[in-house]
Amino acid sequence: MSDDNVKWLDDVAAGGGALQGVRVVELGEGVSAPFCARLFADYGADVIKIETPAGGDCARGWGPFPGDQPHREQSGTFFVLNSDKRSVTLDLARTEGRALLLRLLSQADVLIENNPPARLRQLGLDYAALAPHCPRLLMISITPFGQTGPYADWHAADLNAFHLTGAGSRYCGRPAEPPLQHGTFSTDYFGAYVAVTWGLAALFGRDLAGGGQQLDVSTAEAVAALFVGAQNVGGCAQTGHFDRRTGIGMALASPATILPCKDGFVWMLALETGQWRGLVAAMGNPDWAQAEMFDDMFTRGENADFIYTMMREWTMTLGKQEIMDLVQAHGVPSTAVYTTADVAGLPHLHERGFLRELEHPLLGRLPTLGAAVHLPDCPGGPRRAAPLLGEHTEAVLRGELGLAAGEFSALAAAGVV
Amino acid sequence: MVAPGRAGLPGERLPLRGVRVANFGWGWLGPVAGQTLAMLGAEVYKVESRARVDINRTLPPFAEGIRDPDRSIQNHAGWAGNGSITLNLKQAAGRELARRFAACCDLALENFGPGVMHRLGLGYEELRRLRPDTILVSMPAAGLTGPLKDVRTYGMSLSSIAGLDSLTGYADGPPVPMENAYADPLGGIVGAFAALLALWQRRRTGRGQHVDLSQQEAIVQLIGPAFMDFVMNGRVAGPIGNRHPTGAAVPHGVFPAAGTDRWVSIAVLDDEEWQGLVRAMGAPAWAVEPALATLAGRRAALPALHERLAAWTRQHGDYALAGLLQQHGVRAAPVLDVGDLLKDPHYRARGTFIEVMHPLGFRETIYGAYVKTSRSRVEVRPGPMIGQNNDYVFRELLGLTEDEYRSYVEEQVIF
Repeated sequence: MSDDNVKWLDDVAAGGGALQGVRVVELGEGVSAPFCARLFADYGADVIKIETPAGGDCARGWGPFPGDQPHREQSGTFFVLNSDKRSVTLDLARTEGRALLLRLLSQADVLIENNPPARLRQLGLDYAALAPHCPRLLMISITPFGQTGPYADWHAADLNAFHLTGAGSRYCGRPAEPPLQHGTFSTDYFGAYVAVTWGLAALFGRDLAGGGQQLDVSTAEAVAALFVGAQNVGGCAQTGHFDRRTGIGMALASPATILPCKDGFVWMLALETGQWRGLVAAMGNPDWAQAEMFDDMFTRGENADFIYTMMREWTMTLGKQEIMDLVQAHGVPSTAVYTTADVAGLPHLHERGFLRELEHPLLGRLPTLGAAVHLPDCPGGPRRAAPLLGEHTEAVLRGELGLAAGEFSALAAAGVV
Repeated sequence: MVAPGRAGLPGERLPLRGVRVANFGWGWLGPVAGQTLAMLGAEVYKVESRARVDINRTLPPFAEGIRDPDRSIQNHAGWAGNGSITLNLKQAAGRELARRFAACCDLALENFGPGVMHRLGLGYEELRRLRPDTILVSMPAAGLTGPLKDVRTYGMSLSSIAGLDSLTGYADGPPVPMENAYADPLGGIVGAFAALLALWQRRRTGRGQHVDLSQQEAIVQLIGPAFMDFVMNGRVAGPIGNRHPTGAAVPHGVFPAAGTDRWVSIAVLDDEEWQGLVRAMGAPAWAVEPALATLAGRRAALPALHERLAAWTRQHGDYALAGLLQQHGVRAAPVLDVGDLLKDPHYRARGTFIEVMHPLGFRETIYGAYVKTSRSRVEVRPGPMIGQNNDYVFRELLGLTEDEYRSYVEEQVIF
């Protein structure tokens, strides 16, 4: 594998990854920091992922696993979030482990981490401790609640962060039932995108800014501000009034909801009058939809129950892709609710070359999600499967830190690496 | 009132100082893409027109309740940090000025459908003729190529073609819609990410490029774990409620607290955390069952375990319960509603939401710098008044003479 690795680095140079030459150390697990670091890796940065010798990244234990058989080298979540990285195991509870990390950081541009702030303080690896050694280091810290504020030291998972944003209460779930999360680690992903964007900017203008710094990303704060705050907080501050979830889609206007169809579901959206007329035409101009008052989306909102009942009779006769193709041809911005299977088989994504296959020593050849953004001059995207735990420990510590063979085996014997 | 000159947020040690951006974006995604770059120091100008006022400017609530395109508060949140110039792109002279302006910028952002910029004479090839290393970041729903390239979506339905909505809803029930466009502000962030990648590449190579950002491809990343379950096991995931996305944690959910529509979120990621929860509950008989000491046992005990936990949580207030659980090392937090966001001590301490003074003299609440930077100092100002930077851009940057400028205004080209 180490030969492949050298080859991969050469490929990046030839292909001209936009971030070629950027050196990243990741001290992360789960979703937020690993996804942020994957976005760096996708565009050619060299990412060294530090894992604990005892099991590594917790996502290695999360699955999904082939045949549902847990195996720390076969987690699908780990596979999709860690492509192109090199894995180095270091026991940071040990002085020698921390010393090696500091040596790696002294050669790095960026540290990406999502540890509880108290843990790094205890280890002497918080930004205040690191900055004197690495003044040009950009430290990207991504945690549910951030580095400051009363909840900074709270224990939290993605779920807790998501529901601290108001997103569930305001926008997702039926009124008398619990607010819902958005089907995945959605706050972690949102925070990771925010972090990589601010991080790339801070690195791009590092000299203009006057050196390295810490970016304190709270995933909850990012979603609370950008998603919920943007459209709710200004009015609430002015009048005290705010809205709650309806479970339907849009309280005032219609159609704006998910309806069942023959083989799944469709997101039916037709708000502007022209869109509504397009939808009526697509449905074959049924009598019930001819009423002129229905040209107004708010009148339709008042009659949403009736409209949805009638529309459902029509949607249940067709498949989701048929409905999408038909209404789109009439200018209606409604879409199929694609499942994971639909996404994996979508001709559009295949034709764009989005889905990639990677060879993994235990999982075999597997599809994975391609680059988040297509840049024609530096395409990006995963090239090499996620690493085995500690796969590159020796290569990195001996090859890049210059440890002698004897030093390395002594550290290994002591359980530091 | 003094007309603002150069756009850009006041602040210090901002890393994108000197980067100038033409923002042809609209909706919710366009402003966020520009705002992100602006918060980091870029000089960003929204290109808009009174000939067709941006619908965001017409959306309530309005400052002090006065309906006016310069008083929509949510517009001021979304477009915060962007400047504004007015150009009527329906006129040939307007399009020509837009091209000249774009040539003075490092990059341009847009989120129309594929081909629209070209039809406006503002396509990549046209822009490149005036500035060979130009960067155009296009952010259509499903990209610039492929069979779905012309798909029409709103941000709400965009998450459906990315597979996200198929996972959202009560466990084993139908999908429940997310009632606003998560994909919009997130797509705007990814747009800024794309712009930065292109700036990096240009710094390395001297070349510009036409970035093809498919919102679908950006958002589909969020379903990674469920996508891998399909790839590995052929299992097609449905809605997961508030359960852990890979099922690797139980209990994991939103539980009722005392009061109307009050809830607490609890996530137990390992056996040690479960023991913390048991202690917090006072070790009731049902919870000390040895079978529940392992993840497999707790998973087998669903949904009864969640029901018993709910019977306990509903006796407590949400904040008090979260505090108690935290003391026992359990991942728990109150579930906030919109009204709570302004009162919550954590958001107040971090300055997540800030009151700003609009140049027209009223105060309004928008969000501030949602990332805290230890060296750079970001100061957020509300979204622009229509055409607030016209003087600077047309007179100083493009060097129009007084006569030219006045006649463009009279002909409603600068409009």
